[in-house]
Amino acid sequence: MSSRIIMKLHVERRDQLDEDLVRIWLRHPLRPKLPAWSPGAHVDLRLGDGKIRQYSLTSDPQDLSQYAITVKRENAGRGGSSWVHEHLNEGAQARVSTPRNNFVLVEAPSVLIAGGIGVTPLISMGRALMQSKLLHGFHFCSQRAQPKVVEELKQICETSLSTYVSDDPNSPRLDLSALIAGLSRDLHVYCCGPEHLMTEVKELTKDWNQEQIHFEVFNTAADEGYKPEPFDVIVSSTGETLRVPANHSVLDVLRMAGHIVPSSCRQGLCGTCECGYISGDVIHRDSVLSPDARQDRMMPCVSRARVSVTLDL
Amino acid sequence: MGWEGKLLSIHIAPEASYEMEALEEAELVAGRGIVGDRYYLGRGTYSPKPDCREITLIEQEALDALVRDDPPMQGSSIKIEPFEHRRNLTVEGVPLNHLVGYRFSIGECILSGGRLNFPCRYLEQLLDRPVFLPLYNRSGLNCWIEKGGVIHPGDQIVPLNEVTTKPHR
Repeated sequence: MSSRIIMKLHVERRDQLDEDLVRIWLRHPLRPKLPAWSPGAHVDLRLGDGKIRQYSLTSDPQDLSQYAITVKRENAGRGGSSWVHEHLNEGAQARVSTPRNNFVLVEAPSVLIAGGIGVTPLISMGRALMQSKLLHGFHFCSQRAQPKVVEELKQICETSLSTYVSDDPNSPRLDLSALIAGLSRDLHVYCCGPEHLMTEVKELTKDWNQEQIHFEVFNTAADEGYKPEPFDVIVSSTGETLRVPANHSVLDVLRMAGHIVPSSCRQGLCGTCECGYISGDVIHRDSVLSPDARQDRMMPCVSRARVSVTLDL
Repeated sequence: MGWEGKLLSIHIAPEASYEMEALEEAELVAGRGIVGDRYYLGRGTYSPKPDCREITLIEQEALDALVRDDPPMQGSSIKIEPFEHRRNLTVEGVPLNHLVGYRFSIGECILSGGRLNFPCRYLEQLLDRPVFLPLYNRSGLNCWIEKGGVIHPGDQIVPLNEVTTKPHR
């Protein structure tokens, strides 16, 4: 399991990139350098009510004097982005964790595909790939024209950038199947955006080596058809057996039994509650662990098991 | 015991996992902790477990040893800054492991050694540095506050050579 330090950062500047899009610049009030991060990383931001949201860092990882997050106001969302827009003004204090990366960039020739606000983790990736001359295309689709974002991406990616604006009849449309069919099979593909975009990319790359296809997920996939069943959890260090009822998570049950388990998103997205298991048929429902990691790791906030699972706790 | 030590720095965190903040002056309250600290406020990671955590100390000498990779078990130097180790007080010249069950004074305050601090995986995760084993047996001392008051970095720490028992709280 992993926990992270929470810092009280100072909102130094706020850039309005579009009417519903802001970039918040954060600086440490005491120290000149913030903790290091790598392209694709995100931070947890604590909202006023203590809830936590994840935002990708959109600044340059080589400049640790400040972090930037770029947040689109989603009025139909869970309230995090509205809180950011309303409260994180210049001079405010933001409670921000040290960065974590669930969307790690491999040093290999790559293509980036972004949809809407899903562009955020790909900005730092585009910059790093350009520096190492490994960027083989940055495809950015958006509903409306995003001149400030596009201007930034052009500066970073130069001629590798292609943009597609669905509201603009003069803008080209992204033909995903043609794009992917034309890609060399040694490329890595990174995609972040709305679910339909990622589903299509997943479908079109299903016969690729899956280790070359990477997605960043910020909303849980809908699996309303899933019916949780009760099962047992065995804690290997103490030998205790705990029953997980259908309406509770492994995390809930561990905490009720007095185990200290850090957690954050409770949606299988952030990786905070990651935990090892020794045996059992685990039903993985998170969006973080790689197929390889799932052999012996699980996310107790959302993942469950058939009959029983023995946790390495 | 014939020694005399010094308080180097004071740190508190407002809540579990929050970054530690340095203080130039701290108020210690007997039976509770340092005003403003997560354990004083009952908001620490381990607050739900009754234990001796009113105030925690660590030796600068132990941190220096980690920088030197001494004993050579780490493979490389590990630097832990005073705001990172999550103990409240960083002290120098104080044999903390010998103070379990003894009273000692820091400035005008009196602490009583409760138990040795254990290194924890939680700290290792927070720092993302392999500090668990290197801190074994030198992870500091958890204390009760017997007599409260105000302390400052630079305060003298001296043994009182008096045996103490766990207070009834």
